[in-house]
Amino acid sequence: MIVAGVLSNDSEVEGIIKNIFLEVFPNLSEAEFSWNKEQKDYESWDSFTQLNLITFVESKFDIALSLEESIDIKSAHDLLKCVRSHLK
Amino acid sequence: MRSFTFKMNIINFLENCVEKYPTKTALINEERNLTFQQLYQEVQNFSSCIEFLNKKNVISLIAENSTSFIIGYLGIINSGKIVHLISPEISELNLLNQIKSADSEAIICSNTAKKNLEYTSTQIPLFEFSDIKSKSALNVNNSKTNDLAYLTYTSGTTSEPKGVAISHAMIEFTTKNIVKELGYSNLDVDVLPLPMHHSFGLGCFHTSLYVGSTLVLLKNANNLEYVLESLKKYNATTLAAIPATLTKFLKFDRNVLENYFADIRLVITNSTLIPKNTVQDFKQILKKGHLATYYGLTEASRSTFMIFDKNNGHEESVGHTAPGVEIKIVNGNNNDEEIWIKGNNVIKKYWNNVKADKNLVDGWLQTGDIGYFDEEGYLFLKGRNDDIINVGGEKITPYEIEEVVKQIPGVDDVAAFGVDHEIFGQVVKLNVVKSKDSDLDKSKILTHCMKNLEKFKIPSKIDFVESLPKTDYGKVKRFMLK
Repeated sequence: MIVAGVLSNDSEVEGIIKNIFLEVFPNLSEAEFSWNKEQKDYESWDSFTQLNLITFVESKFDIALSLEESIDIKSAHDLLKCVRSHLK
Repeated sequence: MRSFTFKMNIINFLENCVEKYPTKTALINEERNLTFQQLYQEVQNFSSCIEFLNKKNVISLIAENSTSFIIGYLGIINSGKIVHLISPEISELNLLNQIKSADSEAIICSNTAKKNLEYTSTQIPLFEFSDIKSKSALNVNNSKTNDLAYLTYTSGTTSEPKGVAISHAMIEFTTKNIVKELGYSNLDVDVLPLPMHHSFGLGCFHTSLYVGSTLVLLKNANNLEYVLESLKKYNATTLAAIPATLTKFLKFDRNVLENYFADIRLVITNSTLIPKNTVQDFKQILKKGHLATYYGLTEASRSTFMIFDKNNGHEESVGHTAPGVEIKIVNGNNNDEEIWIKGNNVIKKYWNNVKADKNLVDGWLQTGDIGYFDEEGYLFLKGRNDDIINVGGEKITPYEIEEVVKQIPGVDDVAAFGVDHEIFGQVVKLNVVKSKDSDLDKSKILTHCMKNLEKFKIPSKIDFVESLPKTDYGKVKRFMLK
């Protein structure tokens, strides 16, 4: 599986997505990160944050998410699932 | 010499120099050098030779920087016509549109320009300088007057170009301000590598003519070493250059640069915002002089002046309002803080453009530029109101994003602009020009932006491009970005 020119496996994909969350949420620590934490539980997950998450994954994985896919992402796990579907 | 019923025009500037310094070198150029007396004579001859062009008010001029350009420019004005200035780089479509709009009687051009027009059907006669010289002079003393000096078309960074006719009264007013604020005198030797068909370069020429300094007219600034060597060769005291040229100079060894600029008392720059680092570096490089800039438009030249001083900050300001000019900040429909300008440097109307005239209200020019004054009266620019990117109601100027992105190693140039988005209305897109051999990727740009910009300013799309569409003076043609 090739991602933006880099050989990648599932754990690498997870690692990249986790790092994206840590970048987009600068106040989020590694200890606080959770795959299942939902949008409503984040203090600063607004529509601009959503847009930035999408922008980062599209850039990192060289994929393009549809509007519907973008709207459906409510957690790190949703984002991971979506990215995996594009990488298959 | 003739007398005039109105205030000084450009030919009067030349006449004064002939009276005071007839044998002084007025112009140095690779074509040939001229004293003030020689220049005056050539201008008179030229006017006489174009007497046969007597049907219309406008004559177009297309030429690269040269002695012939100067003679042609002054000669057309001296004949009582308006000189329509055209860039030698103009596209065929723009040329035909301008000729039609200007209602010009003929085009006078250089040999080089004529070759570029070989396959263009201009619909009006085309004369090379050599053709004009071969014409018989009908009348030796044929100086005539016209309120208007030249016609030029705006740079068209956000829309199609508009015709702007500049009067002698405006030129006199602006030139006097330039001299007063920047201290020009007949002792100066001014190196000018800027295109003469544009307000910046032309204003420098008018200033030189007004004070009787020597103008070293270079073809362009493409050869940076040649520009720098000219400073020494001609014992220059001033240099005019766009910010991009100054930033390129900084790639030279610092000691070498300081040596070249050792006797320079003034570097004047304009046309685009100056990178803060460039300002700071030149403050150090100029041991005996200052970097200065101004804010103005073709329609309102030199509306502010800024002399960067080692002792003050304001490195991102364009300075204080010029003497005799008024500037106010007006809240527009989108809560923009638009700059309005009034003064003797402002046009009364556009050239045959009723739609554009709506931007002129009771003598005030609505510039379309966004800015603010600080508490000390320094003006700061934030961008254009039609460049504003509206991301879900949040207003962003491209400039603030571009300045951040330009900090990233590997970024040579960048333009930020809005593209349509179904949910947000617009999102930010970047077109980035990478440095040669750079390994820069989109992720690095995004990471840098995340650390330095509010989240609604983070670009959603990034493209790497070979170049950005720009005007002669380095301004990005935003309406061409996509």
